[in-house]
Amino acid sequence: MNFPSWTLLGQSLLSGIFIGSLYGLLGLGLSLSWGMLRQINLAHFALAFLGAYLTFQLTSVVGMDPLMTLALILPCFFAFGVLMQWLFSRFAISPFNSLLVTFGITVIIESLIQWLWTADYRRMDSVYADMKFKVGTLYVPIPELFTLLIAILLSLSTWALLRYTDLGRALRASAEDGQIAAAFGVNEKKLALLLSGFSAAFAGVAGLCLALSYTLSPSQIYAWIGVVFAAVMIGGLGNPIGPLVAGIVIGVAEAITMALISPAWAPLVSFSLLIIVLLTRADKI
Amino acid sequence: MLEVERLEVRYGAATALWDVSIRIAAGELVCVVGPNGAGKTTLIDAIAGLNRISAGRLAMDGRDLNHLPGHLFCDQGIAIVPEGRRLFVAMSVLENLELGSFRPAARVARQASLERVLEIFPALKTRLAAPAGTLSGGQQQMVAIARALMAKPRLLLLDEPSLGLAPSIVLEMFRVIREINESGVAVLLVEQNVAMALEIAGRAYVLEEGRIISEGSPADLMNQPHIRRAYLGESG
Ligand SMILES: Nc1ncnc2c1ncn2[C@@H]1O[C@H](COP(=O)(O)OP(=O)(O)O)[C@@H](O)[C@H]1O
Ligand SMILES: [Mg+2]
Repeated sequence: MNFPSWTLLGQSLLSGIFIGSLYGLLGLGLSLSWGMLRQINLAHFALAFLGAYLTFQLTSVVGMDPLMTLALILPCFFAFGVLMQWLFSRFAISPFNSLLVTFGITVIIESLIQWLWTADYRRMDSVYADMKFKVGTLYVPIPELFTLLIAILLSLSTWALLRYTDLGRALRASAEDGQIAAAFGVNEKKLALLLSGFSAAFAGVAGLCLALSYTLSPSQIYAWIGVVFAAVMIGGLGNPIGPLVAGIVIGVAEAITMALISPAWAPLVSFSLLIIVLLTRADKI
Repeated sequence: MLEVERLEVRYGAATALWDVSIRIAAGELVCVVGPNGAGKTTLIDAIAGLNRISAGRLAMDGRDLNHLPGHLFCDQGIAIVPEGRRLFVAMSVLENLELGSFRPAARVARQASLERVLEIFPALKTRLAAPAGTLSGGQQQMVAIARALMAKPRLLLLDEPSLGLAPSIVLEMFRVIREINESGVAVLLVEQNVAMALEIAGRAYVLEEGRIISEGSPADLMNQPHIRRAYLGESG
């Protein structure tokens, strides 16, 4: 092992934080629907990529500003999430079956993306693409910084909503004991629709961040699943801050491993962490 | 106020309640006693909207509740203290109480209700921030009753509130239940602690194997040989 320069190490640390914040952002919606609706929503990843491609399309072809695309994408995705939950509750889909059904949705969305945008790599050109600033000897890319800030903002506001509002208390109560929450007037079905809508909208936001910083291809959908699941499980199901914190820990650990040992070792990091957490906190999952 | 007519509740193929009729007038304290598995919890859960009923009629002030969605029962003035308490254990005591006043009608009176329940249960004052699951059994039962009171019910349903509690705490619970009733709230109390329940009840029903087998004033019931033998520990 040859020790890299401080600058390289610092830059790795920074990129670890940035990619970790995207893990956290992707994990937020996943964690909420898993912890509160008992659904393992694989389609979350495909939805995020669909969002990324839509952002790409609206920006590169139609010429919109990437941030403005959210005004179109968020309401559509929210509606999609609501519709999905409506169908899930209409057909009383069990937690295990939710995994299968959402895997099916993933494959459908992947095919749709492949049909519309082909399997070629796509990279969004936007005014933000190459924006960066320098702190000391380190470069801070604006799109990645934006991802970090958005992830923090969404995680904290979700936390505050769950913690300090009647709606949030109702959500937590019905996750614990839906029947008794209902006896005190909580309309579980309505809350589930709302939560699923928000979760899908979060996937849309993650999609924007993906499009801002990454090259897109349909098969990339699957590349994120393992590590984001690790962040969600380490962070605690239903916990809105957990995925972000765990995501950043994983991202940094991966980046340091890449810099110090070899890039090939990076994927081992998240899964070693996940296995350790599963072994030590099996009761909580 | 509450009318239950020829109620039938099934769990799948098994019928838990047959032809159960009870009524509770405003301000009454009515008790349902019966052995384990008689269907007491099934009855109370049905009245709270937790169980769907398969036949018969539930009505509050003449208004039919049969087709009311479960989450709207509390708007009719019905609140439940369920068997086994069923607190939201990961949430704080205060959050449990706040959830009790989730509906808009109760929410506007939240602060006053909170002061009132803390007057009834001063022991909870210092535990408001604690996760409900960390409290002792007696205090958890207080939270369960307080949560129901936060909903400002006209009818309070209590399912075995004395279960698993130390005798001194049981006495305190019964005192509080009587006090709540005296403040004007009708109470439907389900108990296996028959002697104590009959002592505070104005009227009582005996439920066995899913059927009401007897009804009357506590004095009437206590004079029936069957009741004395089965519930009050009198031999042969
Ligand atoms: N969720 C359930 N599913 C199936 N059977 C049930 C369920 N709950 C209660 N029962 C059955 O219904 C009957 C009445 O139970 P319950 O209402 O709990 O009685 P009690 O509260 O008087 O002890 C019992 O025979 C019980 O086994
Ligand atoms: Mg019972």
